[in-house]
Amino acid sequence: MADKSSDLVQGTLDMLILKTLALESMHGWGVVVRTEQISGGVFRVNAGSLFVAFQRLQRAGLINSEWKSTENNRRAKYYVLTEPGRKKLSSETREWERQVAAIARILEAS
Amino acid sequence: MSLLRKLAAGLRSLFRKEQADRELDEELRGFLESAVEEKMQRGMSRQEAARAVRLERGSLDATKEVVRDAGWESFVETLWQDLRFGVRTLRKSPGFTAVAVLTLALGIGANTAIFSYIDAWLIKPLPYPQADRLMVLQSHDKKSGWTGEYLTSTASFLDFQKQNVSFEQTALWAGWAFNLTGDGLPALVDGARVSWNYFDVLGEKPLLGRTFSADEDQAGSGHVAILAEGLWQGRYAGDRKIIGRTITIEGEPYTVVGVMPGMFQFPLRGFANIWTPLALSDKERTDRGGSFLSGFGRLKPGITREQAEAESATIFSRLEKQFPQTNTNLTLLVGSMAEAVARNEGAPEVLICFAIVGLILLIACANVANLMLVRAASRAKEFGMRAALGATRLRLMRQLLTESLLLFLAGGAGGVLLGLLGVRWLESKIPEHIRGYIVNYGHVDLDRTTLGFVLGIVVLCGLAFGMAPAFETSRLELNRTLKERSGQALGGRRGTVLRGMFVAAEITLAVVVLISATLLVKSFFISVRTSPGYNPANLMVAQVALPETKYSQESQKRNFSEDVLERLRALPQAQSVGAASSVPFGGFGASVDIEAVGKPAPRPEERRNATYAAVSNGYFSTMQIGMVKGRTFDSSDAQGNAPSAIINETLAREFWPSEDPIGRQLRYGDQHNVCTIVGVVRDIKMYYLRERPRPQMYVPLAQFPSATFGFVVRTTGSAAAMATAIRDAIWDVDRGQAISSVEELQNVMSIVNYGDQMVTQLMVFFGALAMFLSAIGIYGVMSNLVSQRTHEIGIRTALGASPWQVMRMVMRQGLNLVLIGLSVGVLCALGAGRALASHLYQVAPNDPATFLAVPALFAVVTLAASYVPARRAARVDPVVALRYE
Repeated sequence: MADKSSDLVQGTLDMLILKTLALESMHGWGVVVRTEQISGGVFRVNAGSLFVAFQRLQRAGLINSEWKSTENNRRAKYYVLTEPGRKKLSSETREWERQVAAIARILEAS
Repeated sequence: MSLLRKLAAGLRSLFRKEQADRELDEELRGFLESAVEEKMQRGMSRQEAARAVRLERGSLDATKEVVRDAGWESFVETLWQDLRFGVRTLRKSPGFTAVAVLTLALGIGANTAIFSYIDAWLIKPLPYPQADRLMVLQSHDKKSGWTGEYLTSTASFLDFQKQNVSFEQTALWAGWAFNLTGDGLPALVDGARVSWNYFDVLGEKPLLGRTFSADEDQAGSGHVAILAEGLWQGRYAGDRKIIGRTITIEGEPYTVVGVMPGMFQFPLRGFANIWTPLALSDKERTDRGGSFLSGFGRLKPGITREQAEAESATIFSRLEKQFPQTNTNLTLLVGSMAEAVARNEGAPEVLICFAIVGLILLIACANVANLMLVRAASRAKEFGMRAALGATRLRLMRQLLTESLLLFLAGGAGGVLLGLLGVRWLESKIPEHIRGYIVNYGHVDLDRTTLGFVLGIVVLCGLAFGMAPAFETSRLELNRTLKERSGQALGGRRGTVLRGMFVAAEITLAVVVLISATLLVKSFFISVRTSPGYNPANLMVAQVALPETKYSQESQKRNFSEDVLERLRALPQAQSVGAASSVPFGGFGASVDIEAVGKPAPRPEERRNATYAAVSNGYFSTMQIGMVKGRTFDSSDAQGNAPSAIINETLAREFWPSEDPIGRQLRYGDQHNVCTIVGVVRDIKMYYLRERPRPQMYVPLAQFPSATFGFVVRTTGSAAAMATAIRDAIWDVDRGQAISSVEELQNVMSIVNYGDQMVTQLMVFFGALAMFLSAIGIYGVMSNLVSQRTHEIGIRTALGASPWQVMRMVMRQGLNLVLIGLSVGVLCALGAGRALASHLYQVAPNDPATFLAVPALFAVVTLAASYVPARRAARVDPVVALRYE
């Protein structure tokens, strides 16, 4: 059960989920596929971590959920980004970029 | 907002658990199905794909567990499970539960009752607005360290009042008993003379009318009065036209200007029914010799007690330079009024009780912890099984702690009930007479603070004392536990050692409680048994204060007392009669400065004073105060003859340690009267049973007429009939004279001694409780030990050990625990005794009798408690014991 996402910085999974949902509402498997595709297979998401993150984000009011039927006519729970979620994402992104820039400068300096 | 949402979501999944579960299930199933389909599209078989997905993403069930455990509601759910399971297991062993809950209820109940007094007296502010700014002013002698409730002197206080900038206002008061005539029988009514701003400084508003004005506090213009609601309702039938009416106080007309609500109370004074302005005369205002007044004040906002006291020190050191004759070493301390009231109520005694009940609670907790350990031992198999089925150690500990908390909560609930009973009992025991001195007239409620305190100790003790059993029980060695037979406990040696430690600690605590209680009880009995210097039984006392307006001449006062004494002597049941300007435990105590004539004049700080009373012929014989030397007063001490005096042994010893005091002269009082000593009498107790002897002097009433009297009558008849006869005799002389309640001196003394008596009763109860609890503790451990060793004892018996040897073996084990507990306990009790020293009367803090008797008693009780299990051990039938195996 290689869970590469656990190597991620704490809280990164939340940010990735928010980012993925920013484009369109999506069900759990869709989020996994999208994240893994975009990251070129660097991240692999474990179901436990994913659904705990969904629960956490939903309780924090950052995402909402509704049952819909999928493209191949299966019922699935779709997650939607809420307005607070959108704000959170942009502030998190800014913070992330700031940190990355800082780390990059440190690495270049040495 | 987000917290609310979390709460709502959690609650939803708690209460709609099945639906939430179904949804999660469906969602995960869909998720995994999608994953499988993706793999199948890449050419895997369904079986292979499912396997790969399980490896990659985790299985359905495991994921469900993880998601479910992530929310807070899962914690609540397990807690609920634990609680239900806990209640079930506790109900399955009703004996254990009953003993544990009862033990805790006793311990917590005692704490609840005592704490509610701590809360009412020490934590809650006094019932006045911004009460934390109210300060009392106390005189203090910097050299001797003496502190008194009265002001150093009226004039110094007035200087301080004028010069200080710390106080918003300062007020003065003096307790007073007023003769009230008209509107019914003459009555002696307790009250106070107060400065005009007395009520305003406290922040109290009248029910009717107004408080005093500053002009009414001027010399000669103080003929106004304020009544308490109770007196107004009783004597004046609640007449709403009372304001502006004239009533007769001390034979003079006073105009009523206000009525104070019944709730109003000033505990430093006690019950007061009537107030008049002080209206100090010029002579009183300039008196630097002393004061009969007490003072208090309200600090300006933002000023601290320390700042005010520093300012007072500055002002008084200035006065010291200005008036060295009177002010040397004297200063005025500023103290919190709340603390002064608490001291008055007996806060030190309550704190002692609190310490004691705290120890008792620890004993009870140790007992319950022990019971839990014993019980856990018999449940080892159950826990072994659960551990084998995958319960983590943390999970088991949580279960055990939940059970312990359940027990403690049940004990706490019982404790609150017992505490409430205790508080009501204590309240019912407070004599009416002293209620006025206690905040809220002695009424105490179990309020939120007390309940919070109880909940606090319940949770704290439940966790702390549940920890050891939880830790010990969950420390499983699976294989061994499951193999071992139930009853042959887990942890073997370690569990036993732990239980032994608990029992030894319990005994230690109980010894400390018992020794402290015994010291206090012994001190009480000594103070009661020690003769006060007179015989208070069958001795009736009636007190009167003659109004100055009606009895301004000395001859009038003299005639009054002689007429009354004559009528009292004529009463058939009166064996002998006497009178004094002040009697023991009466309200008219006086003291005077004294000096021996013919010795160098004392320096200001070496001045001595003595309690003073003018007494009639026959007073000493009626009181049965013993003569040591010389003669008592007789007809030769009549008016116009050379003044004479009688002194007590302490005064004689202090002034003439190696000489005969008879024939020596004493100068005393403001007038510097000189009198010749004609006799020496025994020391008597004047105010408290525990007071230390101090100088006392007596002068003949015939030579020094007084306006206050205590008439004493030694009687053979019933007290009630005698009281009526005495009252009638006095009213026969003066129809309008108010009289105090006429009572047997013995009764008066027991009322004054109420606090000590109460503490003593509590101590007896607490001592018994401590002993009872620790006896239960040792009994529990010993009988458990025996049942654990049944097998071993069986073998020993089979191999030829006699019952006596078996008993000795078991008892020795108990004895060891007792000896450890006793020796540590005695050491701790030595410290406790030292802390109690100031509360002990003629008992040394390390009183040898107590320190021998208590441990001995303890040894006997605990040995008796281990005797029963030991006998059971001796009766073990080897055949049964071994077949048991």
